[in-house]
Formats: sequence, structure tokens, C-alpha cells
Amino acid sequence: MADNKKALHDAVIAYKVDGIKEAVDNARKAGMPAGEIIDAMGDGMTEVGILFERGKLFLPHVLSAAQGMKSAMEVLGPELKDSGDASTKRASVVMGTVEGDVHDIGKSICSTMLQCAGFDVHDLGRDVAKSAFINEIKGGCTMCGMSALMTTTMTVQRDVIEILKAEGMRDKVIVMVGGAPVTQAYADKIGADLYGETASETTSKAKAISK
Amino acid sequence: MAVSHFMASGMGGIRSAGDLVARMQFSKNMKNDKAKEYVAKKLGLSTIEIADEHIMRELREELKIGVVTGVPGAPRGIAAKMNIERLIDTKINSCEIFRGLTKR
Amino acid sequence: MTQFYTRMGDGKRVTLTKEQILNDIQAGMADAADMAGVPDLTANDIEMLFEIISNKNRIVGVEPGNEVIVSYDIGQLDFTGDNGNSGNGVDVGRMEAALLHERALGADTFELAHADYSIKPVKPVIACEMQAMEEIQNEIVIPYFYGAMPNAGLYYAPDGPYGNPADLMREFRIEEAMKAAELTAEHLAKDIEYVAPKLVAAGADGFNFDTTASAGDADFVGTLYGVEALRKACPETYIMLGMAGESVMGIHGSIEYRGEAVAGKYPHQQVKMAEKAGANVFGPVVNTNTSKSLAWNMARSVTFVKECVKAASIPCHVNMGMGVGGIPMWETAPIDAVTRCNKAMVEVAKVDGV
Repeated sequence: MADNKKALHDAVIAYKVDGIKEAVDNARKAGMPAGEIIDAMGDGMTEVGILFERGKLFLPHVLSAAQGMKSAMEVLGPELKDSGDASTKRASVVMGTVEGDVHDIGKSICSTMLQCAGFDVHDLGRDVAKSAFINEIKGGCTMCGMSALMTTTMTVQRDVIEILKAEGMRDKVIVMVGGAPVTQAYADKIGADLYGETASETTSKAKAISK
Repeated sequence: MAVSHFMASGMGGIRSAGDLVARMQFSKNMKNDKAKEYVAKKLGLSTIEIADEHIMRELREELKIGVVTGVPGAPRGIAAKMNIERLIDTKINSCEIFRGLTKR
Repeated sequence: MTQFYTRMGDGKRVTLTKEQILNDIQAGMADAADMAGVPDLTANDIEMLFEIISNKNRIVGVEPGNEVIVSYDIGQLDFTGDNGNSGNGVDVGRMEAALLHERALGADTFELAHADYSIKPVKPVIACEMQAMEEIQNEIVIPYFYGAMPNAGLYYAPDGPYGNPADLMREFRIEEAMKAAELTAEHLAKDIEYVAPKLVAAGADGFNFDTTASAGDADFVGTLYGVEALRKACPETYIMLGMAGESVMGIHGSIEYRGEAVAGKYPHQQVKMAEKAGANVFGPVVNTNTSKSLAWNMARSVTFVKECVKAASIPCHVNMGMGVGGIPMWETAPIDAVTRCNKAMVEVAKVDGV
């Protein structure tokens, strides 16, 4: 089983769709449960995220690995449902760069990483109105990720948290904040649940907090 | 931020000979030490002296290459830059254009 | 045990022991060396970094004779801008800002900038920019550039004509995303070729390409080809190319400059590409990690930049602002941290300017 786990992990890092499919087939033939296969691939995706941030892999590689995972999920998803093991299903996350801010790339990469990690990502793009975040949360998102790249716009992250409090929804949603000027101290100050220095750190923390 | 950097390590522009060293870095791709040596040689000074405000203040006025304090009659702008061209043997774009515009 | 006042990457003041500082220096250095495949700092370098960090004075500076050039980017926006770009919110004119930098702030070079500070929006106002350049060149003595970010993000949807690669990739339209990035690089290079020579014709000493590759590898490639075109059109002009981060982000992944992929290149490799394109001065950038200490960030930045300076045939002016070059990510970056990073870059990494 350990060999299969390693093979799955390595196949994801090698980011070839066919290679990932083959590793999944082999693991299934060896009797590995769907949940464990998904976890092993998820660990590989975390590594892919780190390699991306360290300039060793690039976005098309990340997406190719994600595409391989997606193909595998088409087979593994029904098996998971049949077995009644839904533990690997992750939360719905609304993501966006806050209003007044058009910086998109970091947030988009973070959305991609979260998507690869199995989250149901609703990426609203950039310059997103506060009400749009709130509406998605009302619509069922249990996590909210807000990016801000300017000291003038990072205050909107606090505004959204205050709206959530005022509407009695704060306890129903995990709020994540990030972006160049945002720090752990600022996240603590405004009452966010999670701060990520990088996309992969955000994804790791999101996985941990949503378990 | 700007003042912190200037105080920590900056030549100080026209307070000393920073503008001249910068011109040699940009026009001839000279690294800092070579650019400073070049300018120092042209001014007849050492590389430490070209960053010394006490030495450079009067020398700049004497050479008519622009001074940091307001001195009526002291060349500034294009006039100062034309003197800099001759002093450090380099061409300055705005001076070239000025000459082109004033040709008869 | 003796405690030393120092900072975290978010600017917060902390106290650390000598052992903690040395451990952070080692760890920051190791991170950079591992990422970029560059050598560790020497034992002497590490000792110098510790002395700089543990110095009891509020500000530190280089020894006389070690002064370097301070080349300013972002133009007058450091006065007129809002806190989004550390501006003072003082609406001075561009002439006044230029002369104040020359005469009151010790600038060795300065630049004219558009409020949007990007190449693309300069196109419709190019005549205004040319006139401002002509006017200020009549008064200023120090080298005076035009500065703007290549900012390839403005060419992607919804701001520009090409699909947004990040969005397309999330839908697994990978080929389409890569094509959009390639078209953007070509468009950016053409815009540089249109804008930059006009400003040189108006008297600019040169052009400063600031925050290059902020939108990834296609941004860098477009800029490099734009620099080539500018160098061909204006052989004598000064060209400064400053980066956005220590690694070129691979949004496309395999887009090339003169036969070499640029994604994942580190400062010591980036500078060689800048040289090939025709830049005179290169501006390496290393981003600050807000969760790590000043010692970690400073050592990491110096490790990247020292190798860049060693590899470079042209001068290197390291970016030293809010959240880069080891300086904390804080709007009013603490002076003790700023001057320490400055001294480390000049006397350990041996940069030619900041």
C-alpha cells in the first residue's frame, strides 16, 4: 500500500494526466480505498503547490496535475459515494479580490490550488463587491477567501467581516485573508480565521481548518 | 524611506557627485567602483572625496555643474548638464536635443 | 543572555538572542541557496550580517567610500500617491517633486511617472508626458528617466483584449491560456516600442521598467523584447530594468526569450537576460516573508542578490522598498530595519545602487 501511495504522490508531481490515471488504476487494482487514493494525490498536489512557489514547476504543470486528479475523481467520486466515505469532500469557498482592487494573479493561483485540493471554489474575480461575498455565503459557501494587494483596499476585508457579524453569519463561515500587505497580525486584528503567506500555505491551512 | 536610503548609503546626488557617477553607470555600464574611479579622476579627487559634501559643494559651483542650494546665477538644468558633458566626457540626451533645437 | 532588539518581516519589534539571530541568518540563507541553486554566504558575510543586525544604534550606514547610487522609482507618486503606494497624499506638481528629490532628498536619479504607472495607459496621454519631460529636463540636473511598469495584467480580460490565463487554466484550457500569454507579450513589446522612444525624443535620459514580470513570464518576455526595440531605436539611452520578485512566475511556463525559457529564473539568471536585451542597470527584487525575522529576510535577500551582482556585467541597483530587499512589509517601514538592509546590500551583497 505504501508503494501505491508513493506512486500516486509521484505521479501527481510528474503532472502527466496519463501517468496519474495509471497510478490510480494500479492503486485500485491493489484494493486501495478511494479515500486513501484521493488523500495520496492531495499530498502530491500540496507538493506541486510548493514546487510552483519555488519556481520549479509552472502554472500549466499545476493545472495538468489538477486535470489528472479531476479525471481520477470521475472514477473515484462514485466509489466514494457508494462506500459512504465522504470525508474527503471539502467545503465550498468563495474567493475574490476585494472591491477597488484589480490585482488578480495571486488570488487566482490560490483559487487554483484550493480547487486542486478538492474545494468547491467560487472565484468571483477581482474588484468584488462586499455584497457579492455575502451573497455567496448566504448561498452555501462555508469559507470565504479575500485577497487585497494594496494598503488602501485591505480594509475591505475587515468590512466584510463586520457585515458578517452584523448579519449574524460570522460563526457560519471561515474567513481567510491574504495579499502582499496583509500579515498575520492584521488578520488577527480584523478577526479573520486564517492568514496565508503564500497560496500553498493558504491551501494547507484551509485543509487543516476545514477538516 | 527615501531619506533613510540616502542617509545610509547614498552619494546624495548634486550634494556631491552622485549624478555624475550615476551617468557613468548608465551610459557606460560601469560598476559602482569603476564609475567612481572614473569621476574621481576627471575631478582630480579621490573616490572618498567625490562623496564629500564639504569638498563637492564649492567645487560644483566653481565647475558650474549645478549646486544643491539656491544660488542666483549658478547654472541649472540644461546649462549645468552641458558643463557636465564636457567635464566627464559624455553625451546627455536633453543637451543634444537642446542643441538640435537651437541650431540656426 | 543578551537580547537584541530587532524586527519581524511585518515590522513588529521583537528581541532575539545572538543564537536565534544566527539561526535565522543561516535558515534564510539556506532557503535562497536551495531555491536558486546559488552558493551560501561566507562565514565572514554571516558575521557581518550579525553585526549589522545587532548594532545598538537606531540607524546604521556604510563606511565612507562605500557610498552607492540611489536611483528612485515611482516618480512623484511617492509624494502624490495614497498609502497604497506609500504616498504622502500631497498633491505637488511633477516639476516640484523632481526638483525636491534632486535638491532636498539626495536623489542620484529620478523619474517622471504617470498616475497609473503602467506602460499601456501612457499611450493615450503620450503628448502630455512628452511635454512634462521636456519642461522638467530644462530645470533638472540629475539623470531623469521616464518610469512605468510593463504590467502585462492590463492586457488580459477584463482590462485587455486577451483571455485571462489564470481563469482559462482553471477551466483546463491550458493551450488557450498559453496562447493568450504569448499574444500579450507581443502586444506589450509593441507598446514599449511605441511609448519609450517618444519619451527619449522628449529628452528623457532613459526609461525605467519597474516591477517587471509582475504578471509572470510573458510579462518578462514582452519587456525584454521591448527593451531590445528601445535599444535599437535609441542606442545611447539609459535603460533600467527592475523586477517584481526573486523568481519569474511561470504563468505560461515555457515562453522563451531568445531561445531560453524565462519561467523560474532567479536574479543571477534574470540579469543575464536583461543584459542581452540591452539594459544598462538591473534591479533585482527579493520579497519579504512577513512571518520571518529581519535576520531571516535580510540573509535570504543578500544571498540571492550577492550572486546576481557576481554574475552581472552591468551595475545592479537592488529594490529596497516596503516588503522587498529584506525590508519589513509595513507602510512606514522602521528606519532601523531599512538602514540595516541597506548596509547589508551595499557592504555584503556589493550592489552598485539601491
